[in-house]
Amino acid sequence: MQVMSERTSQRGVMKASQQDTADKAAELLAKVAESRSRAAFSELFSHFAPKLQAYGTRQFGNEQTAMDLVQETMTNVWHKAHLFKPDRGSPSTWIFTIARNIRFDLLRKNKKRKDDISADELWPILAEKNDSLDDGYALDNDVLMQEIAHYYGQLPNAQRVVVEKIYIEGKSQQEVSDSLGIPLGTVKSRTRLALKKLKELIVEHD
Amino acid sequence: MIKSHPSEAILYQYAAGDLGASMTLVVGTHIDMCPVCQQTVGEIEEDLCRQHLDTVVETLTVPSSDHEGISKAHCDKMLEEIFSSEAKPPVKAEELICLEGRRFILPRTLAHNRSRIGDWTNMVGKLWRAPVNVGPKGHTNLIYMAPGTQVPEHTHKGQEATLVVDGVFNDEKDIYYNGDFILLDGERTHTPQTTDHDCLTLATLDAPLHFTSGISRLLNPFSSLFFRT
Ligand SMILES: [Zn+2]
Repeated sequence: MQVMSERTSQRGVMKASQQDTADKAAELLAKVAESRSRAAFSELFSHFAPKLQAYGTRQFGNEQTAMDLVQETMTNVWHKAHLFKPDRGSPSTWIFTIARNIRFDLLRKNKKRKDDISADELWPILAEKNDSLDDGYALDNDVLMQEIAHYYGQLPNAQRVVVEKIYIEGKSQQEVSDSLGIPLGTVKSRTRLALKKLKELIVEHD
Repeated sequence: MIKSHPSEAILYQYAAGDLGASMTLVVGTHIDMCPVCQQTVGEIEEDLCRQHLDTVVETLTVPSSDHEGISKAHCDKMLEEIFSSEAKPPVKAEELICLEGRRFILPRTLAHNRSRIGDWTNMVGKLWRAPVNVGPKGHTNLIYMAPGTQVPEHTHKGQEATLVVDGVFNDEKDIYYNGDFILLDGERTHTPQTTDHDCLTLATLDAPLHFTSGISRLLNPFSSLFFRT
């Protein structure tokens, strides 16, 4: 996160015209994100589509696949504009990384098995910020299971069952949700409450 | 401080999307843990973007009329399809993995592949393995060594990349900590081991390992079991 200031100073190297272009594109992305502006998106499209098409043509040597790359890349830009962070780099670099991911998937498409990995898993650039658990979920890395084992008997039943399955049986939260037939959100909140309680118990006895 | 990083050539291939899936996963997980490589990859991506996108057209003000290759009609059709498309559901991440009473928080890229991690299997002694379903079957694994564990001496044929996700281990040459990325090439013999601490690593390889030490006669029949499923 300290990395950003240096990244920004790097951009000083850009030519003024490039900087203007980048600022304009960032503004348009913000409009798409905030108000779903089709006009702003169309402007972005007419700027980036030909560039993406040229990139795709060089990569695939095939016009149709190049157009697929344009469409899929710009579809992600339309839906994910809110994930662009101007302090992390230029709009075109962000769009390039999306295109790079689409290219990866298109290149593998013909040999794709059903459970084949996708670029979005390998480069989670389009992941929503809160798609993983919040910090309250994690205990200190060094707290050993034995400590939890010592106290978890004091938890309410519903929380204890969830903690047992996750921490002792090593199940994922989704698996716990499936096996108990309760919503994933409930598993998460029970885990959170249980860990909060355990932390208190461990601190009390330290 | 992380002292062992992927080479700049590997980072370049990573950023360009030219590495295989399993190597991308290992390198990407290193980058999650390494501010130095994060910075480098950011710069490489800017560089790649300049080469591949920025140099093509300079203006942003051209109305969506005739660009080379895309007609106005084609543009309008694509825009229409984009506006009426549904957003793909985001890939879910899960950060936690547990084994033998130990819990580990997975770095971001690995967390986004949590659902690809299979069950833990005890291999020998206090050495555990969980397959990661990416790339060729069995080539990519999480490996857990409890304190005081030794992996039998073995020789690699092909290439093995190992990343320390959490903990510390050493071989004859060096000692490796959280975030260290180790690439072994071709005919190298080594004996990874842990002493006081345990160690969780992510490893991917091109070819199965061949064991060479005395215990190898014991283990060799299992070596297919060991790193493949
Ligand atoms: Zn690094």
